[in-house]
Amino acid sequence: MRRTDVPAVPNPSPGSTLRLCALRALSRTVLAVSIVGMVLPVAAFADSTASPAGAEEYIIWPPDGAVIHGGKLWVRMGLRNMGVCPKGVAFPNTGHHHLLIDTDLPALDQEIPSDRNHLHFGAGETDARIELPPGKHTLQLILGDHNHVPHAPPVYSKKITITVQKD
Amino acid sequence: MYKFIAVAALVASATWGAADFAVAAGAASPSGAHAYIGYPNDGQVVTANKPFRVWFGLRYMGVAPKGVKYPNTGHHHLLIDTDLPPMDQEIPSDRNHLHFGAGETETMIQLPPGKHTLQLLMGDDMHVPHNPPVYSKKITVIAR
Repeated sequence: MRRTDVPAVPNPSPGSTLRLCALRALSRTVLAVSIVGMVLPVAAFADSTASPAGAEEYIIWPPDGAVIHGGKLWVRMGLRNMGVCPKGVAFPNTGHHHLLIDTDLPALDQEIPSDRNHLHFGAGETDARIELPPGKHTLQLILGDHNHVPHAPPVYSKKITITVQKD
Repeated sequence: MYKFIAVAALVASATWGAADFAVAAGAASPSGAHAYIGYPNDGQVVTANKPFRVWFGLRYMGVAPKGVKYPNTGHHHLLIDTDLPPMDQEIPSDRNHLHFGAGETETMIQLPPGKHTLQLLMGDDMHVPHNPPVYSKKITVIAR
């Protein structure tokens, strides 16, 4: 890139020098803009972290339609083409699991709520022990970034339905 | 902003580095923590030279990428056809010791025909096994 800026003729005409200066100024501007562009998104889009292509979250266990006796179960949380990282730590292509119980997906541009229907696994857990009352329940996973905000594009699992039977 | 993070990281890593030299042992693991291989099962037959998925299971502990110091976390290492390495040193990184330093919780591997062993071992932010170490049962898979 630099080589193209160097004039090929030993005594450049005023016109070409001017063009050269303009080119340098332009490249400097481009450089400045690209540096600003690299830094700014942190502030400008503080509410979303990029997810890598092919990222996929899914519930390893239980399977859709499973019947659970007693109501206590381990939910095994699966993630492909991405990694797990605790909350508060910004590490590229990672996030932490959130288990949604009996609820729909939350707003995708905001912090995921934290309550009985939205369980956070901010310590990097990949297995969750839960207990549910008898009846039909839905389970769905959504990945949150270091600020608990879904990624862009969001990474979430299929919503599954399980039935808890009293033992 | 970036500069600030970089400085903070530098200070933090310097502090951790010093701590590690002083103690020369892995980070503490919580009681009850255990790793397990969710798939394949012990004794399972897999197709030789064809990729299959290995699920990393971890209970009562969390996953964090390498270099991230967070209480009660670590990252997975998959040991293939080898015994546990020394527990007070960095886990080797080679074809028999695969590191998952980006916080991965599953992988695809393929094996040549024959009997093979798989075992998981957690490493802390510095790739050193925890104290006490957290590792799975060693399982056997048959590739054919």
